[in-house]
Amino acid sequence: MTQTRQSGEEPVGTVARPKTAVLAEKVPIRRIILVTLSILIAAGVLVGSWKTLTLTEGRISGAGWRDFLVFGVALGSIYALIALGYSLVYGILLMINFAHGEVFMVGAFASYFVAQSLETAGLLDRNPVLSILILLLAATAASMAVAVLLERVAYRPLRNAPRLVPLITAIGASLFLQYTAASFFGSDSKGYPSIASLEGTWTVLGIPVAKTLVLTIVAAVVMLVGLTFFITRTKVGKAMRAVAEDKEIASLMGINVNRVIVITFGVGGILAGVAGVMFALVFGLVQYNMGFIPGIKAFTAAVLGGIGSVAGAALGGLILGLVESVAPVLLLAGIHVPAPNQLRDVVAFSILVLVLIFRPGGIFGSSEPERG
Amino acid sequence: MTGSELRARAVRAGLVGAVGLVYLALAGMIEKFQERNLIGSFLTLGDLLMALPPLLAGYVGTRPRLVAGRLEAAAPRAVVTVGLISGAIVGGITAAGVALVEALPEGAVRRIFIQVSPELLSILTFGQGVPVGLILLVIFGAALGGLGAGFRLLPQRVGRPIGVGLATTLTFALLQRIFPPLLFELGLDTRWLYSPTLLGLTVPGALVVFAISAGLTVLWSARGPAVRERVEQLPPDRRRLLNGTSLLLLAVALVLLPQLIGSTLSQVLGTVGIYLLMGLGLNIVVGYAGLLDLGYVAFFATGAYLTALFTAANRVTSIGDLVAPEFVLSLNFYLAVPLVIVVTAFVGVLIGAPVLRLRGDYLAIVTLGFGEIARVLVQSSWLQDYTGGPQGLRDVSDAAIGGVGFRDPQPFFYLVLVFCALAIFVSQRLAGSRVGRAWSAMREDELAAEAMGVSTIKFKLLAFAMGAAVGCLSGMLFAVQIGSIAPASFTILVSITVLAIVILGGMGSIPGVVVGTLLLIGLPGLLDEFEEYRLLIYGAALIMVMVMRPQGLVPNVRRMRELQEDEAAQDQWLKKEEAPAVTVGGGGAS
Repeated sequence: MTQTRQSGEEPVGTVARPKTAVLAEKVPIRRIILVTLSILIAAGVLVGSWKTLTLTEGRISGAGWRDFLVFGVALGSIYALIALGYSLVYGILLMINFAHGEVFMVGAFASYFVAQSLETAGLLDRNPVLSILILLLAATAASMAVAVLLERVAYRPLRNAPRLVPLITAIGASLFLQYTAASFFGSDSKGYPSIASLEGTWTVLGIPVAKTLVLTIVAAVVMLVGLTFFITRTKVGKAMRAVAEDKEIASLMGINVNRVIVITFGVGGILAGVAGVMFALVFGLVQYNMGFIPGIKAFTAAVLGGIGSVAGAALGGLILGLVESVAPVLLLAGIHVPAPNQLRDVVAFSILVLVLIFRPGGIFGSSEPERG
Repeated sequence: MTGSELRARAVRAGLVGAVGLVYLALAGMIEKFQERNLIGSFLTLGDLLMALPPLLAGYVGTRPRLVAGRLEAAAPRAVVTVGLISGAIVGGITAAGVALVEALPEGAVRRIFIQVSPELLSILTFGQGVPVGLILLVIFGAALGGLGAGFRLLPQRVGRPIGVGLATTLTFALLQRIFPPLLFELGLDTRWLYSPTLLGLTVPGALVVFAISAGLTVLWSARGPAVRERVEQLPPDRRRLLNGTSLLLLAVALVLLPQLIGSTLSQVLGTVGIYLLMGLGLNIVVGYAGLLDLGYVAFFATGAYLTALFTAANRVTSIGDLVAPEFVLSLNFYLAVPLVIVVTAFVGVLIGAPVLRLRGDYLAIVTLGFGEIARVLVQSSWLQDYTGGPQGLRDVSDAAIGGVGFRDPQPFFYLVLVFCALAIFVSQRLAGSRVGRAWSAMREDELAAEAMGVSTIKFKLLAFAMGAAVGCLSGMLFAVQIGSIAPASFTILVSITVLAIVILGGMGSIPGVVVGTLLLIGLPGLLDEFEEYRLLIYGAALIMVMVMRPQGLVPNVRRMRELQEDEAAQDQWLKKEEAPAVTVGGGGAS
């Protein structure tokens, strides 16, 4: 679902281009800063990795790197699932649904309460497969409901407002949902009930992998395949693509645009719900503000892969998860930065900033920044 | 309007009201706010919150509808019926919820919704238990819904004074911590107005406040237009004199204020001042230049940390010793001010330069990323030797002049006041200057501005630098006020709080920023029970302002027009529809 709206404004762009070129010649500060920045980063990455890999003491073993990679893939799958929600909505409405991280949080909370009941009922240990299906069902239902409600209450009245207006509303919605959860359910972090048959590891391709991570990766792949099928093969998916191309023409073709938008939010919510369960299973905790940082990171993933595209969001999530899991140690341990994992978020946010500065269209998209 | 349409409206308003009431109950507000007496022990803030949903459902649900450009109100009897029905629905659904909770095994609901305590259930059923209390709840809802609808039926000359009177009385009741000490210091006996034991207004006090404010409203609606006209017709020099006098009076009042309200409330005012400075700074970036900055806290933090490092501070080592950070100067605070401003403005340009070409929403996310990077770096072990890590820096020196310190709340207020006055002056002058006009041109249409010869790059950088410079002032004052700084004070929530201030007040409007700060920082500071729900309320405020009144409470005229371009076009169209009738009438009269 790529956005082709920009090409319609070509005449305006061509008129402005000479002017921009003149300005760029007059003020080369930006170019200078960008070039210096990229050289510095490249040098830092090379030096850091070289030093870490040639460390004499405190060297990280092959098994250590392997674990980082596996964890990165699992984390990336979660990011990818959330990122799809951003991407789908952006593809259609051209707006950043800032509160999407909270949709994910609601899913995790719903599954937490159900898991608690299942634990007391003993079903969690007796029939883990059925329990996990129930958990997924509860989480996706809750997330979908919140996502649809969000669209109805906060975004639909602003469909034609200036661009910053829905973004500010979305920030408000994010805050509102977080603190609603805090006052409804309490602001302490809650330990997720552990599922006995998900403890320990499975051997996949000769590598021992924690069972929760395997489950996460499998769930993400299943959801991705399902989503691709939904978008490319079903009538509703076709309608979604049509609305993403051009809302007005789509509505002239008899597509109920509002309904498609609601469905898009719903689908994004379902994916976020699955991500919520997986996140809770992997990290074992739910808290009211758990959605904020993963939400921003997932947005980073969506932009990284090119916002508006399904494959891009998946790939972006994977890359971000891997980089976040490997890079802090790889780049910083060698130059003797204490506790490099504290700087994990810095790595993720730096990627966000760098991608938006250098390639706002995503690493597979164009480097021309969108304006508007 | 047809009967089925009216029924549908009543049901819809009732459902929305019910969601509101159930939400307030689940969030725990109704129970927690019971502690706060507003009028005697007869009306608490919790009672008010419980009464508002049905009241508003009745009032809003009977709003006249715009049909083909004309307001179409229903018949009076229908209005009251709709109000009664919607109010009853609010009460009924809540009653059904209470019944459900009571029917389930004890504690089953509370395991999930921690606020559903027996006390809450007792409040909702008026202490009458299940069958009787539930019926009372429905009757209560219906009565208030009918009241809300009935208010709509009052002619404006009666309804307006009542509305203003009620609002003023509630404001007085809510400001119960600020008025009594103020009046007491002025030598007035306040025991008849505010009850010393219950803290809220007394019943006679409330009646007096209501009567006076309603009376003044009646008077103003009779004389107001004439007075305003006379002020407008004053010769320019006389008007300047009038403006000058009112400004002077305001200044005198502000100077006396901390002495009158005492130390605790001065502390609140100091915090208000710090946020006001930040709001003014962000207003330059968001309101004037139209660049949404979500990492504004970075400048606040820069100001605070640089102040600490430039004027001497200590950090705590891992074994608990106090040592100086790796890099520290020991300048006088006032020498440090220009230095910090210059450095922070440079940081602003540095952050702004690479993101200049980004579109609005991407810009917001990038700045948010910068803000988070700054915070995580500051609290990392890596930079601990410079920034003190998670514990931060302490023993920041005071901004003393000749041995007189400013750390105590009352003197600190004066320091803040001076800085705020300065920032307001600068903002005011900027708005009308060539720079300000360039900003608004850029904000409205970047391409057009560029084509008219406005260097958007230069002015965007200037906006970032100016915003950063004003923002760092608040950081400096913050460091002086509490004397120790830690990364926990510089989270993204600060950025969002300041954004909420600017948005609520009205983007680009200086009085708006002042009102926004007073409402969002001052009011929670005055009523402790708000503190817990502060961020919840900010979130709701952001959504509600954007959906219902995007121009803010005290709008900037120009900015309002931008946001309402579509509505303006619609109004034009409506006027055209009505125009023939007006000319015919005018022609007949002449």
